[in-house]
Amino acid sequence: MIRFELDPLPRRRKRVGVYLGVLALAFTLAGALFAAYGVGPLEAYGTLLEGTLGDPQGLAEVLRRTIPLLLIGSGLTLAFRVSFFNIGAEGQLLLGAAAGAAVALFLPASAVSLPLMFLAGAAAGGLWTLPAAWLRARVDVNEILTTLMLNSVAGYLVLYLVSGPWRGEQVQGFTYTDEFPGAARLPLLGDTLVHWPTLVLGVVLAVALQVLLTRTSLGYELRVVGESPRAARYAGMPIPRVVLLTGLLSGGAAGLAGVGEVAGIHYRLLDPSQISLGYGFTAIIVAWLARGHPALVLLTAPLMGLILAGGDLLKISLNMPFRVIDVFSGLMLLCLIAGESLVRYRVRWAR
Amino acid sequence: MVRRQVLLLALLALGVAGSAQAEEKKLKACFIYVGPVGDIGWSFAHDEARKLTMKALPWLETQYVEAVPEGQALPVIDRLVKGGCKVVFTTSFGFMDQTLEAAKKYPDVVFAHTSGFKRAPNMATFMADFYQLYYLNGLMAGALTKTGKVGYVAAFPIPELKRHISAFALGVRAVNPKATVNVKWINAWVSPVKAREAAEALMAEGNDVLAFTEDTATVVQVAGRKKVPGFAHYSPMHRFAPDFVVSGQLVHWEKIYIDFLSKVRDGTYAPGKLKDVDYWWLLRESAVELGGQPGLPINPKYVDALKKAQMTVGGKQVSVYDRVMELLKDMSSPTPTFDPFTGPLQDRNGATRVPAGRVMSPQELNQMQWVAPGVVGPVADEPK
Amino acid sequence: MMEEFLQALTRALSFGTPLLLASLGALVNERAGVVNLGVEGMMAVGALAAFGVASETEAPGAAVCLAMAVGALAALLHGFVTLTLRANAYVSGLALAMLGLGVAGLLGKRYEGAILFEPAPELPFTVAAGALAVVLWGFLHATRPGLVLRSVGENPAAADVLGVNVMAVRYLAVAFGGALAGLAGAFLSLAYRPAWTDGMTAGLGWIAVALVIFVGWSPLRAVLGAVFFGLLYYLQFRLQDQSQVPTELFAAMPYLLVVVVLALAGLRRTQGSAPAALGRPYHRGER
Repeated sequence: MIRFELDPLPRRRKRVGVYLGVLALAFTLAGALFAAYGVGPLEAYGTLLEGTLGDPQGLAEVLRRTIPLLLIGSGLTLAFRVSFFNIGAEGQLLLGAAAGAAVALFLPASAVSLPLMFLAGAAAGGLWTLPAAWLRARVDVNEILTTLMLNSVAGYLVLYLVSGPWRGEQVQGFTYTDEFPGAARLPLLGDTLVHWPTLVLGVVLAVALQVLLTRTSLGYELRVVGESPRAARYAGMPIPRVVLLTGLLSGGAAGLAGVGEVAGIHYRLLDPSQISLGYGFTAIIVAWLARGHPALVLLTAPLMGLILAGGDLLKISLNMPFRVIDVFSGLMLLCLIAGESLVRYRVRWAR
Repeated sequence: MVRRQVLLLALLALGVAGSAQAEEKKLKACFIYVGPVGDIGWSFAHDEARKLTMKALPWLETQYVEAVPEGQALPVIDRLVKGGCKVVFTTSFGFMDQTLEAAKKYPDVVFAHTSGFKRAPNMATFMADFYQLYYLNGLMAGALTKTGKVGYVAAFPIPELKRHISAFALGVRAVNPKATVNVKWINAWVSPVKAREAAEALMAEGNDVLAFTEDTATVVQVAGRKKVPGFAHYSPMHRFAPDFVVSGQLVHWEKIYIDFLSKVRDGTYAPGKLKDVDYWWLLRESAVELGGQPGLPINPKYVDALKKAQMTVGGKQVSVYDRVMELLKDMSSPTPTFDPFTGPLQDRNGATRVPAGRVMSPQELNQMQWVAPGVVGPVADEPK
Repeated sequence: MMEEFLQALTRALSFGTPLLLASLGALVNERAGVVNLGVEGMMAVGALAAFGVASETEAPGAAVCLAMAVGALAALLHGFVTLTLRANAYVSGLALAMLGLGVAGLLGKRYEGAILFEPAPELPFTVAAGALAVVLWGFLHATRPGLVLRSVGENPAAADVLGVNVMAVRYLAVAFGGALAGLAGAFLSLAYRPAWTDGMTAGLGWIAVALVIFVGWSPLRAVLGAVFFGLLYYLQFRLQDQSQVPTELFAAMPYLLVVVVLALAGLRRTQGSAPAALGRPYHRGER
């Protein structure tokens, strides 16, 4: 029988060792699945690394996929810190994209179009989180379920918009809006698809949230609420308010990511499944890896960006189905949370 | 051990040299598909054609990428061009703007886009269209319906579908002037669950023959299970319901691919010369074929019923079977005399769309927003 | 009119069958206190396993059995991570959903476009699902093992004191949940649309998760709930062009209703009918 005992003070070495171990396990298991599919794991990983890190175009792709993860991930890191498990970033991203698109399509184009789009996107993403955050903060309704359900609702809402009232006049009946005017498009880095203003926004947000967490009184409350709700209650801290605020912040960050995708890549609002490619879910792994430190997202987001871009490469070079990305994500997430437990506990073989 | 390694190295060197030599002569064409190649439907048909083209052109090298989301074609094209692709086929309407962008970015690469209407000096368009076949399918559906209601499961209200549904309805009404073609939209190319429920809803409303435009065999399977006649779309779907697939539409993209690539190779279609290259290939070019599987234009199980069914053509009674065969022969000939979209034609609201004696041009067909009389159901962007 | 009603009911039963099967499984493991959001993933691997066996051996019985076994196995992975390792059950379930969809999409590649010569009939699945709901209701409320299962979900510490092996019960319940999700998958790929397509579960697993909450963890109400959700899905096509409300609303309704149900329970300051220890790991001697 395996038995587990609490390990109150895991050593740093153990911590790092376990995380590296479980990540290696995830990659080994994924490799085994590749072999079962019929592609040698070494060939797959070789292709993945060579095509992403080994050439400028690949690096640009990694960067492009990193942008939304950076934004969503840093918001989620903060939310997870107060145990607000926002699983609804996908829906919040879609709402942000829709609000950004509304500004681009229905307000006159001007120099302030882009800032307005980002503002509207953040507001919409935050508001979409409001029911879940409020219910959790006030009456302790499980936010995982509510945010998860609101993902699907957001998807249908966007589908309704692009197939109904917002369907473009120049799109020949397809389900998307007309293209955004030039003033509502983000500039790109050289001839890559890296919409750099969003990237800058992501970096700034990650750093800003880190500062907020470590240098402000709200951040102090946030840390106490996250580490020991009981202590926070004794200290008379407004726990519901802290949870609500954090929830809204994480939704707003996801909303920003949504604006980045439509204003930087698509230049239109389109079918929900085409807008996001699952960034909201991948960002959960990004945040989980960052272990409560928003600034660490600057490392973990590119790691998952690398995997997303690498998955594309496996599809292009080796004709593997796009589902390889889900295999990676699922395995990594499972191994990570398992690893977290392994850090917290000592394993004993009992007879 | 050592010797074997040396041998291997030598072989490898030879192989590299050999392939380098071959590469000089080979032309690399790349295909971007919107759906998975394995499943029956549009992308499957393109990939079958790619394989046939490979067989036909020994100097050709190909690569494909499947299930590319419509908003993500550009990074894929970047990769492919980097990998040495000289010709890129983008096979979905949704790739149109990104293909155009890529054509500007890579002026030395030849691009060809399916089903769109934007071209550039190095970007052509191509389409193997089914509207003639839909008309013939419509004739048969009109003969087979007892309730006078034919169901149609449709993906998106785009010109391609409006054209096909209208041609189908014109066929249905040529046999049975009171019949209707009832359309349900599923707003998806690949969605078996939606297609199933839409087909079921159509049957609940009294439709006793089913046709569709969607990329799975679901509707044919539903027809088989409910024992009603149905029409296959795009791929050999006869095998999914052998007793209930009456006919259908099959495509031979390879006819276009072979012709196009040969002309790229001999310089006719060098980059810069493609501004006006638009393939609009039909029965005459053998780019499309009538039937639910190759070589079987009409399921023998339905031949008797179609021979018995009568329709009026130019004041004379003929059997539907004979009419289908006659038109098929005519439209497959080098100089067809019949076209389903010959005026006078009105839309379903009574407005005249094609005056008497005129035939719709490919461009009009490509941007068709109205639908023919007999089509029932919501139609987006319909002109008033 | 009558005919129309019957047709709608038939559709609701057909679409509702995989929902009912999967949600009955999820209901049992949640009644034992274990949350598993990975239904969609388990359904996908079940659907693939069933289709793989059926297309190669033409033995539907074996196909169904393997689908259930594969579903249970996937669920046991979730069980190990959440019960033994005590990781966050919600996140683990989410990971399982991704992994299941991924593995099925990857390994199912070779079956795309393949054909079943003998598609399975739908009726046996529907009847089995309905019967199972009644049996489970009886099991949970009138038998001792049922009582034990519920006590493990309500108050594992008390059950433990009474000599119940909490771990074993929870593992069994989780495996049962996975097996039924696998069975739901088999229904999809053998009967509902006899084929394998990547993504063919089409979100049904998530609707099943929603359904469990919507019906307040009651097997009998689950039957009604499944029929209701099935009806909503069908109506979005049946009422196309005839309804003033956008048809997308019908499709979004299950998810919206669950948020409403959760909110109402929260506002009434109750847990609704949720098992008290739902989603909480239990280990003897720890709080």
